[in-house]
Amino acid sequence: MKKQLALLIVSGVLANAGGFNPSMQGYIDSLKVEAKKSNNSFADFNAKRGELIFTSKHIGKRGREISCASCHGANLSLSSQNAFTNKSIEPLSPRTNPKRLTNVQDVQKWLKRNFNDVYKREGTPQEKGDVLYYIKSK
Amino acid sequence: MKKILLIVPFLLTGVLLVAVMADDDEDHRSIGRSIGDVAVSKDATYIKECGSCHFAYQPGLLPKRSWVKMMNTLDNHFKDDASLDQKTTKYITNYLVKNSSDNAMDYKRSRKITNSISVNQTPHRITKTPYFIHKHDEIPKKIIVQKEVGTLGNCIACHTAADRGIYSERAIKIPNYGRWDDD
Ligand code: HEC
Ligand code: HEC
Ligand code: HEC
Repeated sequence: MKKQLALLIVSGVLANAGGFNPSMQGYIDSLKVEAKKSNNSFADFNAKRGELIFTSKHIGKRGREISCASCHGANLSLSSQNAFTNKSIEPLSPRTNPKRLTNVQDVQKWLKRNFNDVYKREGTPQEKGDVLYYIKSK
Repeated sequence: MKKILLIVPFLLTGVLLVAVMADDDEDHRSIGRSIGDVAVSKDATYIKECGSCHFAYQPGLLPKRSWVKMMNTLDNHFKDDASLDQKTTKYITNYLVKNSSDNAMDYKRSRKITNSISVNQTPHRITKTPYFIHKHDEIPKKIIVQKEVGTLGNCIACHTAADRGIYSERAIKIPNYGRWDDD
């Protein structure tokens, strides 16, 4: 019994290697439930779709072409510059910047604001999950 | 615009004020009362929430009526969405009001900013207050639009000690331009 439990824990840790922390995983799981509701064939989020969301340009809230990369840069492991205020932004890549994608409240707040900046609307649950998988993969 | 360096021995109160940069254009009576340029902002919540998109401007750079108006319209904050939950909004509003320029008249820049704004006006920006405009109207546009600065709201790009509440001429270093000398 003890052995089984230990094994379970070990495999849990392994599966989570490079994964999200428990509260972020909880957020991802709730996004999955939402995504499934509006798309029956939904299986899992996809970093490739997320990349397109992140790098494609749109006429944003200010009437000018903008993408997520306009503020966060094309290379997520480098610092970048805010396109509106010129303030520098620390790398978005959780590998270079371990604080990233660890606080659910912060992530929700910024996704809401930043989707509005670029897409003039909030992201759908599937879009949010896809883009988080993309950032996580960087 | 000559700057005079005054050495004011502050005998009456027993305090020795070492050196004060006095402006030639405004009231000299109050020089001795100044305890600094603006009060430093140390509040962690304020710095986190209001210092993420730009420099965390000190509360003493605008009067309370400006802050209250701004905090009521955070969902459309200069075309950006800076909205916060109710609890945080209330907390930051209180912090800004308590430390606003008109509540910090012992600080030299806070006093000058406050006095420059007519009572029936509520500026949305620090950069639109008469005192600020007057101090920055000689800066060539090409210096401002360069990538390292971008806008006049980017205080810390030129005022290297802005995060310590210091705006004196000696602490100005403009990127690709160097020290400012207007004499
Ligand atoms: C106008 C500039 C701007 C644009 C455009 C922008 N962001 Fe951001 N983003 C920021 C700023 C500023 C922060 C918070 C500052 C910081 O944490 O360094 C931030 C933070 C984030 C965070 C929080 C990361 C964390 O855990 O700390 C995520 C996720 C994010 N952005 C994703 C996106 C996505 C996805 C897009 C495109 C839909 C996007 N951003 C577009 C400026 C921008
Ligand atoms: C999501 C990004 C964002 C956040 C968060 C944010 N701001 Fe701003 N702020 C901006 C932008 C964009 C501007 C306009 C920049 C420009 O056009 O020069 C601005 C401008 C300002 C200005 C005017 C600066 C000037 O030109 O004089 C003040 C003051 C200000 N913000 C205060 C705050 C306060 C207080 C908070 C916290 C409640 C805050 N900001 C949070 C994006 C943000
Ligand atoms: C492009 C660079 C630049 C930026 C950005 C900038 N300033 Fe200045 N500032 C100057 C220069 C140069 C002077 C000196 C003007 C003079 O005395 O001729 C000055 C003067 C001042 C003074 C008066 C100092 C004195 O000794 O008389 C204050 C206060 C000040 N700035 C505050 C700010 C604040 C607050 C911000 C951001 C909202 C800001 N500045 C942004 C360049 C800049």
